[in-house]
Amino acid sequence: MKLYDQIFNVVKQFRKLFSPGPVTNADVSGSITAEIFLIVSLVLSAILLRHVSVLLAGLVALILAVVLISNIPLIPKFKIEQEDSLEKMLFYAVVTLCIIAVFLYWGGNLV
Amino acid sequence: MNELIPLMVIVPLMAGLLISAFSKFNKATKIFAFVVAICLPIIPLASNYGLHYFGGYEPIMDNVTNVMFHPAITYSFTFLQQIFIGMIGILTFLVVFIYLTKYKEVSGPYLFLLFLGTAAVTAMLLTDDIFHMFVFFEILALAQVGIVAASSIDYSYEMALKYMILGSIGSPIMLLGIGFLLALTGSVNVTDIAYAVHNGLVNITSPVFLLSLGLIFFGWLYASGLPPFHTIKSGIYSKAEPHGAALLQSFTVISMISIVLIMFRIYSVLPIFEVLVVFFSILAMILGVSLALTQTDFRRMIGFLAVGELGFIGLGIGLGTPYAITAGLFQALNEIIITALLFIGFGAIVNATNEVDTRKLGGLLAYHPKVSIMLLIGGLAMAGVPPLSGFQSKLMLVQASLSCGYPEISILAIMVSIATFVVFVKTFYTMFLRPKPNDLEVEGKDVPRAMVFAMGILLIIIVLLGIFPDIVIKGISTFVGGIL
Amino acid sequence: MAYVHITILFTAALLIIIGLYSAIFIDNIIKKIIGISFIEEGVNLFIVALGYAPDGVVPIIMPGMDPAWFAANAAYPLPFGLVLTSIVIGASTLAVMLALVMVLYRRYGTLSTKVMLADTSKQEEYNE
Repeated sequence: MKLYDQIFNVVKQFRKLFSPGPVTNADVSGSITAEIFLIVSLVLSAILLRHVSVLLAGLVALILAVVLISNIPLIPKFKIEQEDSLEKMLFYAVVTLCIIAVFLYWGGNLV
Repeated sequence: MNELIPLMVIVPLMAGLLISAFSKFNKATKIFAFVVAICLPIIPLASNYGLHYFGGYEPIMDNVTNVMFHPAITYSFTFLQQIFIGMIGILTFLVVFIYLTKYKEVSGPYLFLLFLGTAAVTAMLLTDDIFHMFVFFEILALAQVGIVAASSIDYSYEMALKYMILGSIGSPIMLLGIGFLLALTGSVNVTDIAYAVHNGLVNITSPVFLLSLGLIFFGWLYASGLPPFHTIKSGIYSKAEPHGAALLQSFTVISMISIVLIMFRIYSVLPIFEVLVVFFSILAMILGVSLALTQTDFRRMIGFLAVGELGFIGLGIGLGTPYAITAGLFQALNEIIITALLFIGFGAIVNATNEVDTRKLGGLLAYHPKVSIMLLIGGLAMAGVPPLSGFQSKLMLVQASLSCGYPEISILAIMVSIATFVVFVKTFYTMFLRPKPNDLEVEGKDVPRAMVFAMGILLIIIVLLGIFPDIVIKGISTFVGGIL
Repeated sequence: MAYVHITILFTAALLIIIGLYSAIFIDNIIKKIIGISFIEEGVNLFIVALGYAPDGVVPIIMPGMDPAWFAANAAYPLPFGLVLTSIVIGASTLAVMLALVMVLYRRYGTLSTKVMLADTSKQEEYNE
């Protein structure tokens, strides 16, 4: 019953996602699909690490799966981070630039 | 007739300038814009393949080292350029046609922006000079901002300014990368740079070379709207007029493939290049589709889907085998057509109902059957349902990633297709099938004929490419064999 | 003369870093745009510096010059041409940005980015 309750709570929390205005069942089912899709696809892409090391891939996939499933609902959190305000967009753009530059400068030859 | 190659850029550029200058003669402007728009797809089809050296400076052979140098800005025109420029020409024609029939009083500057964008992407596809590409990339960004700001949708200025500010970080960073390449090789011609890199004249393990990859790659992320720029890209699609958005997404796709092909020619010696492209493509697919599932504004939803589909193109390029690159480029061609169809179709619905929220729509199948059936087929094509064109390219991509030894990517691609399908089923149900809400007024408003005509043309191309994909795939694979 | 070159490169790097800093941390939109245009200026400065030749001559070949000596001593002219184009593009981009800011300032009455360019998706999604 515990998981069922958790999922029920998730559906309740989706209401905030569409806050002004009604919530239709199509929107909720879409959001649940997005939730499952997000978890499965992130874990699946973590398995791609097996080309680096099989042990690392297994470990990362397991940890990611546990963290993601215990943190549902993910979509509201994801959506807040990807809203339209310039602050967030600029922040992520500059952070990505720095990560790419640092990663390539010191680790570009490792792959 | 290689004189036609520069004309592909010059005709839309000059036409735009003339239209903008003489826009007070309304009737003449309309006729002139229509004639130029018809010429745009015809010029690439009539032209022969070949090279064009601006200023007539032929390549110079260095007698000591036996290396060819290219002193002129070079345009190379092959089958790939022909098919993409032709497609952009058809799309520009349709968009200009929709615009001309929609308004009695046409705006010269708006038509100028449409033609300017077309000229810029054409030059980006044709050019073999990395700085020339950068210049037209900036011009393209200005044209995109103009198209967004010209729309009458709420908050379009805000979105345009956000795009511009992000762009003024993205493009100088890309220019810095080009500067690094210039410092390493002393040239901006891609063929010369690629020759220097592949023949050991440049130390490919040096941090400068690696950093130049990182900086140009960041500019590419901005150009193509992959994460972290997926929110702004989907935002500008949703804030432009529907026909403008149809053209904007094609600009994005073309600038994405033209930059990534140049990067591929230079950096394919580095294994990390392919890792980076695949990583960001997967991220774009996951984020784009999962955000599209939660949208209630259907223009925004198509915007996110368009970004998610870009991931497939990146995937094809990132896998790096000839078959995968062919699949990626074919997917790019399909996406231009399919997404344009969707934007125009949903724009027709906005036109008829003045409503963009899916929660307030319903029962439109009875009022607009033609549009809804065409939209359904377009959505199925995007999700990859046989026998439409999206199916062919996605099947090729899945096969390519399987044969490269990455079954996870195949599964992921299939899952993204399924999620795209879910988005369409959900939206189609809420907009067309469920009972009409009482407060929705649809009577008396008709869909413009020009939009139905444009959708019909695009639909014919989708079905044709789905049944006979070989007419395009053969030529593209020959091109890919040439650059590898 | 090498320290001239080093100083130019250092200034270019400093300008780019100031630009990235102001992109994230400054709230006033005009100041933010000024800061961001520093990135462009830094990049231009870097590319100009590429053509620098220590004790070089102007890259115009005069009658009577020895071609071999000229090739060894002339500055590299390509970066100057590139930068000229890049400056023109940068100016037009700046003009469009400031024009948009003018329109938005009239609408909002403030120059704060947090107010002017905040997340708008919630307001427009369900307006009665």
